[in-house]
Amino acid sequence: MKANRLKQFLLSGVSYAIPFVASGGILIAISIAFAPMTAKGPDFSNAPFLKLINDIGSAAFAFLIPVLSGYIAFGIADRPGLVPGFVGGYIAGQVGAGFLGGIVSGLLAGFLVFWIKKLKPPRYLRPIMPILVIPVLSSLVVGFVMFKIIGAPIRDLMAAIQHWLTIMNTGNQVILGIILGSMIAFDMGGPVNKVAFFFGAAMIQKGNFAVMGACAAAICIPPLGLGLATLLNRRLWTEQEKEAGLAALAMGAIGITEGAIPFAAADPLRVIPVIMVGSSVGSVIAMLGKVGDHAPHGGPIVLPVVDHRLIYCLAIVAGMITVALLMTFIKKRLNRSRSQ
Amino acid sequence: MTIVAVTACPTGIAHTYMAAEQLEKTGKKLGIPVRVETQGAMGIENELSPEEIRDAAAVVLAVGIPVQKRERFEGKKVYEISPGEAIKNPEAVLLKIKNDLGS
Repeated sequence: MKANRLKQFLLSGVSYAIPFVASGGILIAISIAFAPMTAKGPDFSNAPFLKLINDIGSAAFAFLIPVLSGYIAFGIADRPGLVPGFVGGYIAGQVGAGFLGGIVSGLLAGFLVFWIKKLKPPRYLRPIMPILVIPVLSSLVVGFVMFKIIGAPIRDLMAAIQHWLTIMNTGNQVILGIILGSMIAFDMGGPVNKVAFFFGAAMIQKGNFAVMGACAAAICIPPLGLGLATLLNRRLWTEQEKEAGLAALAMGAIGITEGAIPFAAADPLRVIPVIMVGSSVGSVIAMLGKVGDHAPHGGPIVLPVVDHRLIYCLAIVAGMITVALLMTFIKKRLNRSRSQ
Repeated sequence: MTIVAVTACPTGIAHTYMAAEQLEKTGKKLGIPVRVETQGAMGIENELSPEEIRDAAAVVLAVGIPVQKRERFEGKKVYEISPGEAIKNPEAVLLKIKNDLGS
């Protein structure tokens, strides 16, 4: 099995799960943002309409792991993979194995069905293979494995990760911030970015908002920082780049890292390291400042649902300035060495 | 000689369409007609017709996720690359195919 294929299967699940994350996460975030905050969390007792929005959002969010698992299996085995994938993902959620459990159940379901599909059943069995034999048999096997064999160890692993996140010391916070920031900036909305983002979104579901907080700051820094760089020193940039800079500022403001792509595509070896540094600066500040993000989205647009808003803004601005100054410095040196 | 292509990325909002645009634009520049179908977050758009696939000399799949309806390309010469390659270096991709086909 080539690693590339495996990556495609995982991303197939992620690509179908993202709209559920957005729908559920944003509805939940809206309801929390407007409800009065108490020590025990948001209080919905006097706000039935907000409670309703929260319930709808929670319903959408509940599909996250089943859809992730189901469409990983779909990527491997096509339609017959859906049933055991969804069932396995649901069980992963039930036993507390979280999104790691969902990934495992999706792969398991997909490969199992892929293998069953290769069998050559007698002619009279063939019509009932896709509607009866495969769904029943594969659900049974995947369900049994998830409930009885690997569900519990994955649950314990997830619990250990969460525990580590909550007791993390300053040094580890810095390291995690750098990892998350670098991953978010590295491919600007591509697969590596999505892994970090998904980790943050999954942690929201588990009640840890700090990982997403760090991601949220990192997400908008590449486009915002590069946009700022084009404003800082206009004559270093071509007309096309200045235009792309304005577009990047707009995309950064609404949390779309992709806005940085035109710059990175033109000069990847210089731009990508710079934005990785900038996003890391933002992530680390957000981590240390205990910034929490209740919505699985980033950028200034999520400010209403962020904890410790001032530090969140500070993290973004610090990252932007880092990117803009580094970029200007590198561009100037480049121009000088060219003119010599 | 025509080439048909499918582009798809995990999120399906940016890379998918940038890859499609690059392939079409570069095809025009090199004088190679390229027909692109996108499989983005909106589902399949500009779907390739069976005739277009039948008449195509080669198929480019610029994808980061499994392609939907892949069976359409059975028996064709398929080049599988990442959307990133199609965005960054579409010319090399198309020229390689042109070279392989010897035309």
